[in-house]
Amino acid sequence: MLPLSYSLKNLWARPLRSAMTALVIALVVVATSLFLGLISSLKRTLVGTGHPQNLVVMRKGSDNDGASALPQEAYQAIRFLDGIARNAADQPLVSPELVVQPFFRTLDGGRENVLVRGVEPIALEVHDQVQIVEGRMFRPSAAETIVGRAVAGRYRGTTLGSELEFGRGRWKVVGIFTAAGSSFESEVWVDVRELANDAKRPLPYSGIRLRAATEGDLVALQERIENDPRFALQAQRETDYYAKQSESANSLYVLVVAIALFSGIGAGFGAANTMYAAVQSRIAEIGTLRAIGFSRASILFSFQLEALLLAIAGFAVGSLIAVLFAASLGSWLKGIAFGAATFTTNVVTLEVRASDLLVALLLALGIGLSSGFGPAFRAARMRPMEALRRG
Amino acid sequence: MISWFGLVLANLGRNRLRTALTFGAVALAVMLVVFLLTMPAGLDALLNSIASNTRISVHNKAGIVYSMPYSYARKVRQVEGVAAAVGMTWFGGAYEEEGRVTFPNFAVEAEYVGAVYPDYGIPKEQLEDFRRYRDGAIVGRQTMRKYNWKIGDRITLKSNLWPVALDLRIVGEIPQERAPMLWLQRAYLDEALLAARGRGLEIVGIVWARVEDPERVDQVMQAIDDLFRNSEAETASETEKSFFGNFFGSLKGFVTVILVVTALVALCIVVIAANTASMAVRERHGEIAVLKAIGFSRRRIFAALLAESTLLCTSAGLTGVALAYGFAQALRSFAGWSPALGPLGSFLVTPGVALRGVLLALAVGFISGLLPAWGAARKPVAQSLHEVF
Repeated sequence: MLPLSYSLKNLWARPLRSAMTALVIALVVVATSLFLGLISSLKRTLVGTGHPQNLVVMRKGSDNDGASALPQEAYQAIRFLDGIARNAADQPLVSPELVVQPFFRTLDGGRENVLVRGVEPIALEVHDQVQIVEGRMFRPSAAETIVGRAVAGRYRGTTLGSELEFGRGRWKVVGIFTAAGSSFESEVWVDVRELANDAKRPLPYSGIRLRAATEGDLVALQERIENDPRFALQAQRETDYYAKQSESANSLYVLVVAIALFSGIGAGFGAANTMYAAVQSRIAEIGTLRAIGFSRASILFSFQLEALLLAIAGFAVGSLIAVLFAASLGSWLKGIAFGAATFTTNVVTLEVRASDLLVALLLALGIGLSSGFGPAFRAARMRPMEALRRG
Repeated sequence: MISWFGLVLANLGRNRLRTALTFGAVALAVMLVVFLLTMPAGLDALLNSIASNTRISVHNKAGIVYSMPYSYARKVRQVEGVAAAVGMTWFGGAYEEEGRVTFPNFAVEAEYVGAVYPDYGIPKEQLEDFRRYRDGAIVGRQTMRKYNWKIGDRITLKSNLWPVALDLRIVGEIPQERAPMLWLQRAYLDEALLAARGRGLEIVGIVWARVEDPERVDQVMQAIDDLFRNSEAETASETEKSFFGNFFGSLKGFVTVILVVTALVALCIVVIAANTASMAVRERHGEIAVLKAIGFSRRRIFAALLAESTLLCTSAGLTGVALAYGFAQALRSFAGWSPALGPLGSFLVTPGVALRGVLLALAVGFISGLLPAWGAARKPVAQSLHEVF
């Protein structure tokens, strides 16, 4: 068996050509993992939103709470159902909410639809992902607001203590909250009654979020709410609701596959070129190796290994660039906004994670294996005497 | 004697495998670049072709999800300088799939819509039919294609916003490739709502107005906003171009990432092509020296080598553009209007995008061939021959 150092030295023998081939693979790794990272960041944001024991109650037929509306009576009826978790003060964990999507001005003068959620203080207990990290909770009826981390600083007047203009009114930012990276961080929260007044909504709520006491209670509550003949309602597990929202991102995977596949095959062709040239220029050497007793298998293995090493080198460089690049691109763009069909903007932090890099690694190894096989096979097939003569 | 062009071709045929691999690599990469470029290009084209500077949007200052009283449509029509105006209200109708809106659909005033969009080229008879049939609908070509609809088809849209489902009959098509929207009659929705909840539509989402004189657009917008100042719903007017520019402004970050990825792939092609060109020249040192020795001028040799890489890359580029066209076509027919991509998902290989792909390949071939060709042509004959023999 030929030692590993033989393959390594061969790569070093033509440093420029090896470097160029590794660079091509590195570029493919960067392109693929960057794009994949973007989409998985988007998915992570949406899928990681909500609590598995929370229910989203909306009007039947609505696919998002922006399109739903409920009367006050529905809230009163649901609030006292059995099986709802209660807090220390024995209040049921039921959060009536109103969602509107007014214009917010970005710092560079553009505008985006931002999801503003009208809530009552109990919302902080129902959505326990939400943590106020700066300032405090708003006081009801005081034109105060708290903003998510992804919103803070992205739009005009969204820093702590400043005046924020949206809808018909002006609001004072008194707190900034995080929500474990979930899409709540792209929201702005205000008092639900103030928001209903500002938006002139005839019905005060767009939906209700509630926490079931146990998993069994959740199923029972869901059935009970959906079968209530007084109101046409639908109840959905909160995590399912956000998972469904994330489905629209699935079509983006077509793009990732296109990028990975086409650039990968292209890079594979380029690498195969290099490897064929390497075999071509070493015919005499291969003949000698065969003559002194190295088997066909060990020649095959050695050239295949050479191609794989190239791919791994390309991956190492590429993944490093991808991670650094994603971080700087992310901070330069201040998060990447995705407008959804629901007229809201989700601000996503671009991050290339290990799972994205794993896909890129598999792609690089695939390129190395497939591009190395042809040349390695050609090298192994050579007859020693002929090779010596030709070389 | 072998012709100059024959020499170029013979050189390409010398190492067929390498030529084929390089050709394949460049073709695939150009295809990918062209495909990715269709996304930002689709956005630009939408802003430039469909959106106009003389059509203005009048909407609630607070946001497009905030509505205005319906009377605003009438009041806008009376403003001096407004040639035509139509009130448009989001219907939120889902076709087949429960609760999922797969194309934008609006309730419009059938009698005014044609005059506001003369540039769309909707046939007169179809607009008349739209007016005549209360359940009529006019549908953008993109959506017609997606669902294989034809004029005369009947469809049902169930609204996720209003408590009604409407049976519609398609009476016309908006003959614009990128138009996904569906228009239905406001009067029809109004009637259905009255029956369902005892109150009609009452509100309007956006009033679109066309101004005859481009010089007066700013003045008209100012007059409209002044008209509604200090009312229950203050308005913000802007040109259609600015409206869509703002509406899709949130895609900017995503477009940046796409452009970065495109640039990376383009860089890939340069490196692959340069590698091939340098390999091709290095292998042929002896041969080039012999050509020089028998009287080929440096310039001819330089030109032949450069032509070789340029020809290879350009022909691969053309193939790549053709592949991209086919791929985009296939993707469009089964993906249709993707809500996640919005106008980026039109995947239309426009002549401009195709040209950019071919020019990229041409430039890559030229640049990658330049250095090796120059090096080979410059090398003194004696030195090359000495190295070889």
